[in-house]
Amino acid sequence: MVGEARHRSTGVPQGWYAGLARDRRFRLLRTRFHRLAVGIVGSFLGWYFLYIWLSAFARDFMARPVIGHINVALLLGVLQFVSTFALAWRYSRYARRMLDPLSEALRDEAAAMEAELEHAERLAAERRRIENWTPPRRAAHRRTRGEW
Amino acid sequence: MTPVLTFGLFLLFIVITLGITFWARANTRGTDDFYAGGRAFSGAQNGLALAGDYMSAASFLGIAGIIALSGYDGFLYSIGFLVAWLLTLLLVELMRNAGRFTMADVLSYRVRHQPRVRTAAVASTVTVSVFYLLAQMVGAGALVSLLLRLSTDTAKIITIVAVGAMMIIYVMFGGMKGTTWVQIIKAVLLMGGTLALTVMVLSRFGFNLSDMLGAAADNSGKDGFLRPGGRFGKEVAGDPLGTLLNKLDFISLALALVLGTAGLPHIVSRFFTVPDARAARTSVNWAIGLVGVFYLMTLALGFGASALVGQQAIAAQDPAGNTAALLLAQALGGDLLLAFIGAVAFATILAVVSGLVLASSTSLAHDYFGHVLMFGRPRESQEVAVARFSSVVIGVLAIALAVIARHQNVAFLVALAFAMAASANLPAILLSLFWRRFNSAGVVAGIYGGLGGSLLLVVLSPVVSGKVDPVTGASLSLLPKGIDFHVFPLENPGLVSIPFGFLCAVVGALLSGEKVDPERYEELSVRSLTGTGSHRAGPRRSRRRRGRRANDARGVT
Repeated sequence: MVGEARHRSTGVPQGWYAGLARDRRFRLLRTRFHRLAVGIVGSFLGWYFLYIWLSAFARDFMARPVIGHINVALLLGVLQFVSTFALAWRYSRYARRMLDPLSEALRDEAAAMEAELEHAERLAAERRRIENWTPPRRAAHRRTRGEW
Repeated sequence: MTPVLTFGLFLLFIVITLGITFWARANTRGTDDFYAGGRAFSGAQNGLALAGDYMSAASFLGIAGIIALSGYDGFLYSIGFLVAWLLTLLLVELMRNAGRFTMADVLSYRVRHQPRVRTAAVASTVTVSVFYLLAQMVGAGALVSLLLRLSTDTAKIITIVAVGAMMIIYVMFGGMKGTTWVQIIKAVLLMGGTLALTVMVLSRFGFNLSDMLGAAADNSGKDGFLRPGGRFGKEVAGDPLGTLLNKLDFISLALALVLGTAGLPHIVSRFFTVPDARAARTSVNWAIGLVGVFYLMTLALGFGASALVGQQAIAAQDPAGNTAALLLAQALGGDLLLAFIGAVAFATILAVVSGLVLASSTSLAHDYFGHVLMFGRPRESQEVAVARFSSVVIGVLAIALAVIARHQNVAFLVALAFAMAASANLPAILLSLFWRRFNSAGVVAGIYGGLGGSLLLVVLSPVVSGKVDPVTGASLSLLPKGIDFHVFPLENPGLVSIPFGFLCAVVGALLSGEKVDPERYEELSVRSLTGTGSHRAGPRRSRRRRGRRANDARGVT
């Protein structure tokens, strides 16, 4: 029952989203996002766990001083921060340039289509209302119950 | 003098935030306002609030203390807490587009059995939130006895109850609008306070990081203060197995930290307070910047405390080192700065617990009451009333548990909350978004499996029983010495429970034989990637309201 209501509330005909999903631009958007996401997740998790592994198993290497009292461990730790900022920046730039235009175009088209559907639906509802119109009944019986 | 000043500053914070709360109360009408602050916050505002929700007292006081006492290893926490945000950045837009108020909205979008999925999501949201809450509130009790120098038991109880009462007021009256402003103010205060401390510490060493580290290492009197291994993954001489287990425990912690953030309920519920997915991305970028700068500064706080205050003084006040940042403030700026940092610490606790209570009451009202009990058709006013009521229930529960556990060392609960979020919520979110064959049974199995698995592993771990101090022979576990049923050797369950959560989700989905609706999956992927039909702010009518109007027309109310 819940599933049925939910489908009704989306208000779009069957197959509408499947059609959008087959759209060439949507497939491009999905491929681009997946490639980007896999790349970013792979690089940051790999780099983070390399660092964790070094901290656990290569402690002499990590303790090697670089500048004064700053050792490899501290340097790599700060580099984790730098890489996080860099990856976030890279993701946002790529998304702005390569993903947003596609998703915007698709969203606008979908909104236009939805507006059209809604308009048609409203017209149909109006027609039904006119066709099913019956003259209102008198409210005479109410007066006898003393509700006034 | 200082306690009075701290109390005064904290009172000022309370007065201002209460004013905001009552302004928010007057401007909160429906569910969009109460759960999502009207979706009207800008990316920068929400970014500040995300950072405010995330930077808990455990990280502010706790990490500074660990660095001050154990050296370099405390910094590993900082790194894990930050790197985790990249995963959040990748998921935020998809979840913002697909969901409405909660994680359960995303999980239940494409499945056949909504009520089961929603109930599971509520169970995990509430469990994670309550564990995290407990850690923060017991911390508040401990903090007051250190800060106001009231070591009586009554003072602890009064603090816990007062903090709990305040958080209930914020959430009940302010909803998301009020809570978000509390977070923003807290984030600004915390960043300001930390920045001031950092600059003052570094100026003592002529802004030479190396000199500060050298002084900290010398003052610690420990060998290898600046190298890994002071706290995590300790080498046990003559026991290679013990050493390996210690190191695996450390890796387990790192895994939970990096994978848990994206599934934390109070973070997820913030994704929906902005107008659209792009603003959500901006807000996570802001949060990454703020959280990154903050955790870099923990280096200066921790090492600075070790160099300027000294380990004996820190350990004498609190063996866990939680007062390191406060003692540092006193050493640098006298009583005034100590009072300010103390008030900031209270504000931090208060803001984080409010965020948690809001997330769990949203989940209870929207998911459990609204969608399970009322089949998705409650009146908005009913739902908001239930949300307000749930915030009181969750708040009172948290207060009661915190009062009971006030003498325990519950610091492990923060890591446990991260592990549970990573084992229960993350598999369900990822597989819902990206795996075509995923279904209700998979979500349910994944959530209960991950949640139950991590809880069971902790109960069977040395955290609960059987860990004994090798020198004094005293019990280091929750249970007293003599009771020992620990079977699982690691203190952090993540290494086992996270793969187990994923496994349960996949196996549950494959074994159930439940049919998948391919159209709904396409719909979810189109919607999550493009934002068609997502819930927006402003004049555009939301789908729900349109649905209700249609129901009214049909005579369903």
